[in-house]
Amino acid sequence: MHHPESLTDAAQPGRRTALKQAASLGAVAIAGPWLATAAHAQDADLAPYRSAKINWRQVEGESIAVAVIPASYFDNLGALLPQFEALTGIKVRIEKVPPGQIRQKATLDLSSKTGTYGTHAADPMYYPLYVANKWVDPLDKYLGDASLTDPAWFKYDDILKAWRDADSIDGKPYGIPYDGEVTVQVYRKDLYDAKGLKPATTLDELVSNAKALNDPTNRMYGLALRGFAGAGQNMYIYPSLFRGFGGKWFTGKDVTVNSPEAVRALDWYVNTLTQYAPPAVRNWNWPDIADAFSQGTLGCYIDAHSSAAVLSNPEKSKVVGKVGFARWPKGPNGKCATSIWNWGFPINAALSDKAKKATWLFISWATSAETQARTSWKFAGPAKRSGINRTSLWKSPEFADAMKGSGDNFIAAALESLEQDTDVDWRPRVPQWPAIGETMATSIQSALVGQKKSKEALDEAQARIAQIMKG
Amino acid sequence: MAVATGGTRSLAAQERRFAFALLAPALLALLLVTTAPLVYLAWNSLNRIDLGMPWMSGFAGLDNYAKMGADPRFWNSLWLTLIYTASTVVLQVVVGLSLALLVLQIPKGQGVLRVGAILPIVLAPVVVGLFWRTLVLAPDVGLVDVATRALGLGSHNWLGDPQLALISVIAIHTWQWTPFAFLVLLATLSTLPGDIFEAARLDRAGAWQRFRYITLPMIRPAIVMVVIMRMMTALSAFAAIFAVTGGGPGSSTEILNLYAYRTSFTELNIGYGSSLAMVLLGITLAVSWLMFRLRKAKS
Repeated sequence: MHHPESLTDAAQPGRRTALKQAASLGAVAIAGPWLATAAHAQDADLAPYRSAKINWRQVEGESIAVAVIPASYFDNLGALLPQFEALTGIKVRIEKVPPGQIRQKATLDLSSKTGTYGTHAADPMYYPLYVANKWVDPLDKYLGDASLTDPAWFKYDDILKAWRDADSIDGKPYGIPYDGEVTVQVYRKDLYDAKGLKPATTLDELVSNAKALNDPTNRMYGLALRGFAGAGQNMYIYPSLFRGFGGKWFTGKDVTVNSPEAVRALDWYVNTLTQYAPPAVRNWNWPDIADAFSQGTLGCYIDAHSSAAVLSNPEKSKVVGKVGFARWPKGPNGKCATSIWNWGFPINAALSDKAKKATWLFISWATSAETQARTSWKFAGPAKRSGINRTSLWKSPEFADAMKGSGDNFIAAALESLEQDTDVDWRPRVPQWPAIGETMATSIQSALVGQKKSKEALDEAQARIAQIMKG
Repeated sequence: MAVATGGTRSLAAQERRFAFALLAPALLALLLVTTAPLVYLAWNSLNRIDLGMPWMSGFAGLDNYAKMGADPRFWNSLWLTLIYTASTVVLQVVVGLSLALLVLQIPKGQGVLRVGAILPIVLAPVVVGLFWRTLVLAPDVGLVDVATRALGLGSHNWLGDPQLALISVIAIHTWQWTPFAFLVLLATLSTLPGDIFEAARLDRAGAWQRFRYITLPMIRPAIVMVVIMRMMTALSAFAAIFAVTGGGPGSSTEILNLYAYRTSFTELNIGYGSSLAMVLLGITLAVSWLMFRLRKAKS
């Protein structure tokens, strides 16, 4: 139905060579200018993959579509696709969907069982929903199948544990993390040094640092945090505060969002942004914050470590060489809680068996150590990925070398956060998350803009969530 | 004669049948693309379809509708829909009529104004929304903010403050659709016979009296038509608000249409979202029916 190539392949088994040539002709048409180098380097290019004891060409001729977001870390992967196609004979069509729509598109595809996307860049918070509806396959059977995975080569356990856990339900993996991030403190080292400030280790210190630097009349603000409404915006920052204040999402099986800790965390969020952040911050997502920081109008912000790519670009940033990194400050309960965000790849359960195998081969290629390195420090283009998925790669000297322009303490801060501060219960992992995230985002925003008091906003969210969860 | 009548009758019937056969493909297409989805929507609204809780799915009767009674966000969105529709329609008619009366006085260059007036209408609402959000209402750099600061009124967070955001989306809708009212009313005004006004002037009717007792009654059908059409658009407004505020901040610009969308596609509660959409459909139908009746009764 959706794979014309495979039909041709099955009909004419005797003409494999001709078909291969046709396929490589197709690749030629796509590869275009890189053709000459690609053809020469091909065997050497594919050697690290061929050392895996699996048959990469077992479903050659298949074609799959993959939905990702428009981001450099996926562009780098897209640039390597000719290598994957040469390795496996599987055609991959990458479709870029803006981050605001990819969840809806994927959900629409999965729920209507059209099988449009073999896999997509999935939000880790959506796995409970996918699994409750049986829309995606458990991946343990792919990982455990010797014909599909060579465990000694793929080394699943080398992938960062926090992200593996975030993409698993009840211990079973449903997605393989490709790229991810941790939330870290980004601060102006030059300004901090001049005033004798140290990067904050507690939220109180964060506020006092912000106070020391805040000078709105000279367009200098102490601190910024994402303030825009959305499950991925204000509900990206708030859960870390909530956990740091000792909040717990569950009372028994019920989701509770209006505990005294929750109110204190929201009060802190509202007060800090009101006092020390630029007035427009309530409409800001991370690109706006990183822009403001790179223009030198912010003393500090807390966001994904990958946002730092903007800061080290000398064409756009006025703060190159003046940036330092540190972990999330501890909350009153002594806990740092960073995000478990990652883009993982699940397998669409509505696919044919052959297409599932092709999708798995794509996923294991994309998340393998070799491809991770090739999309990071080995990548020819200017954007080297910083969200690589493996512990061994994070600790490699090549990665440290590629990231040295990012700023002071970049890898150490990110790695320490990854190993110590990640928290699978950062947000409530339930199938109803899309509705809960949206409800929380709306309530938090009404508190941030002063429409409602924190307690009132969270009580309303609680009432609505109770309604949503009612069985 | 009886035979002849029977003949024409069967001929007429034949013609009707033929006409129907010609219409059938179009009717069928219409049925498929409008009626069928509508029936499906109505059916969904009677079911519990919550993708977050697939184990709860099933026929629910009128549960979804009953649920609305205790849903504060529904009442909030209904109230906002009312405010939004009433204020945009009134503003469009008042501003459009004023502009039309003003332009009528201009002896030359009306054509250019008419062409210029069409421009906002032909823009896609999403484009209008993004344009206002990034160029007109953005803090610091937006046109409106620059203007208010120059006038000493200070900088405002036009889309971040709940009340200003509602005013902003009303202003945007009014900006985009006032030209429609303006064009229709201008065309109607220019067809009014001059001799009546001359007679009125001879009878010493003042400008206000002439407007109140002659112009208004004569353009009344046009105004009612404009009100009906603008109401339907305002009730089903979506794209511009979606692009500008997404219904926020909080739920302060979340009209019923946006609430239905958010419920269905963000919260994935398709059943409840469908019932919200059905309510919106009901309101739109009721309002249009009322307006049409009003139009018939008076004319």
